[in-house]
Amino acid sequence: MTDVILEKVGKTYPNGYHAIPSVDLSIEEGEFIVLVGPSGCGKSTLLRMVAGLESISTGELRIRGERMNEKEPADRDIAMVFQNYALYPHMTVYDNMAYGLKNRGMAKDLIAEKVSDVAAMLGLTELLQRKPRQLSGGQRQRVAMGRAMVRDPKVFLFDEPLSNLDAKLRVQMRVEIRQLQRKLGTTTLYVTHDQVEAMTLADRLVVLNKGKAEQIGTPMDLYNKPATPFVAAFIGSPSMNLLDAHLTEQGITVSDELTLPLSHPHRGAIVWGIRPEHLDVSDEHNADFALRIQAVESLGAETLIHGKVETTSGQGDAMVVRLSGPHLPDINSLMWLKAPAQYWHLFDAVTQQRL
Amino acid sequence: MIENRPWLTFVSHATLLTGIALVALPVWMALVASTHPASAFGVGHIPLWFGDAGAETWGAVLFDKAGNGVDVPVWFMMLNSLIMALGITFGKIAISLLSAYAIVFFRFPFRNLCFWIIFMTLMLPVEVRIVPTYEVVANLDLLNSYTGLTLPLIASATATFLFRQCFLSIPGELVEAARMDGAGPWRFFFDILLPLSRTNIAALFVILFIYGWNQYLWPLLITTDDAYYTLVMSIKRMLSVTDGDIAWNQIMATTLLAMLPPVAVVIGMQKLFVKGLVDSEK
Repeated sequence: MTDVILEKVGKTYPNGYHAIPSVDLSIEEGEFIVLVGPSGCGKSTLLRMVAGLESISTGELRIRGERMNEKEPADRDIAMVFQNYALYPHMTVYDNMAYGLKNRGMAKDLIAEKVSDVAAMLGLTELLQRKPRQLSGGQRQRVAMGRAMVRDPKVFLFDEPLSNLDAKLRVQMRVEIRQLQRKLGTTTLYVTHDQVEAMTLADRLVVLNKGKAEQIGTPMDLYNKPATPFVAAFIGSPSMNLLDAHLTEQGITVSDELTLPLSHPHRGAIVWGIRPEHLDVSDEHNADFALRIQAVESLGAETLIHGKVETTSGQGDAMVVRLSGPHLPDINSLMWLKAPAQYWHLFDAVTQQRL
Repeated sequence: MIENRPWLTFVSHATLLTGIALVALPVWMALVASTHPASAFGVGHIPLWFGDAGAETWGAVLFDKAGNGVDVPVWFMMLNSLIMALGITFGKIAISLLSAYAIVFFRFPFRNLCFWIIFMTLMLPVEVRIVPTYEVVANLDLLNSYTGLTLPLIASATATFLFRQCFLSIPGELVEAARMDGAGPWRFFFDILLPLSRTNIAALFVILFIYGWNQYLWPLLITTDDAYYTLVMSIKRMLSVTDGDIAWNQIMATTLLAMLPPVAVVIGMQKLFVKGLVDSEK
């Protein structure tokens, strides 16, 4: 069953700024959708429009078939976890979690039951009488999630909930959020700028760029078949090598003089892409091209090699190669590389669409 | 800064002790004076230690009519002062809380203009607008009433400004979270805003109570009925004796009594007061 539908939803601010032109998205019940994009891409705005904290300028938002555009946030049957947790500082953990239920006129014993259930699930039982300032960052995060969970809403909204935690805790909470969401089966909309978080959490990802949904799909769809160079560069770390190239009868011309054979009907300027992990080390006779090594990042499990495509002009494009295991090539030496054709990504340079 | 220099310690202690002596000496004098007969001051030397007329003076001050045209006892005037001071304090806090709430959290036309108009009233304290204000109060038939004593002094730009700053520092996410939790404007005000500005309210209470208690000009102007005399203005009246001796001992005792409530408020609320001025738990 389709749970949340955004139909041509757009946002224009009173000063005329067109934050979101038009977004279409339909979310299935129990799905975990991640909105991802660089800062200023409108992902938080979109989430806040679903929440009802920002008005919807054009289009329609429906939750379980019901139009929500004009409804107050409290009447949309949604719950939100904020970036800075937004816990009420003067209330205990218990009161923080119970506040929303109290305002809805729920009976006291029922509230107590719900809160203690959720607290037990999140491991907060011991902390119920504490004030937020007596809690650590991770605990506050849990309380914020608990406050959303006791409401038993149709939709969870998360606005970069992990960005204030340290790296280790972030990984731990990420796993926890995913498990909880699976267990509760609540439809979730999650905003982040961190592509690792997005890839690991999402059933489906929405990559936003300047208020437009560049691509919507499963993490692996986006990794294997990015629709635009923007998505290609955004998903994956280190990001995909994207080179300006030309498609001719002979194949793809890269860095003005290097030709990779390919028969493709398209002609003209294109963007040629290949992921750093798909480049293979080869020898002089079998290689497609050579890389002049400029920097080496050894991470133990993998090695990232930065270099320039070797050309006669010396003006070759920069590329990154990712090799597993430790490697210690000399700086300025040449490295022969093979780029298997099945991993190529071709985009039209003008329309920015995948070919 | 932690330094360990003996002479520095000495100098700073000496400075502090001198300061304390300067402040405390007049109070001490008043206390001593209230234990001597009224005539003790007319003879040229000022006593520095307690006399033996203490019980008599204090008894007279507390329970007899104050005299010199003041027809009510001191304790009654203290009550009047207290009613006026508390009226002004709570009135000011309530009104400025509400106006700051409106200015910060509601979008209405000319919002900023409203704020600046309120702010500009800082330039119009009672002393400046005393004649028109008197006119208004007189026309409303509020002379010689508690309402007349407190109402014209209740509007407060300072407090509104203070609460505005306090409200502005409340993170937007908190307001949004409350909205998601289904808290309407009143719920938000009472459940979130009031508890969060608790320390600011306490700090303002101290300042405003002293302000209200020390009102002199306004009560002097609008009260002609002894039943509404306040203590601070009456001290002056007790001094204006046309014939006979000034009862210095009684006046000193009254002065001490007039100092008591503000001191009590400051001491009682010192902790919250300091907290309200220096930190916020948001």
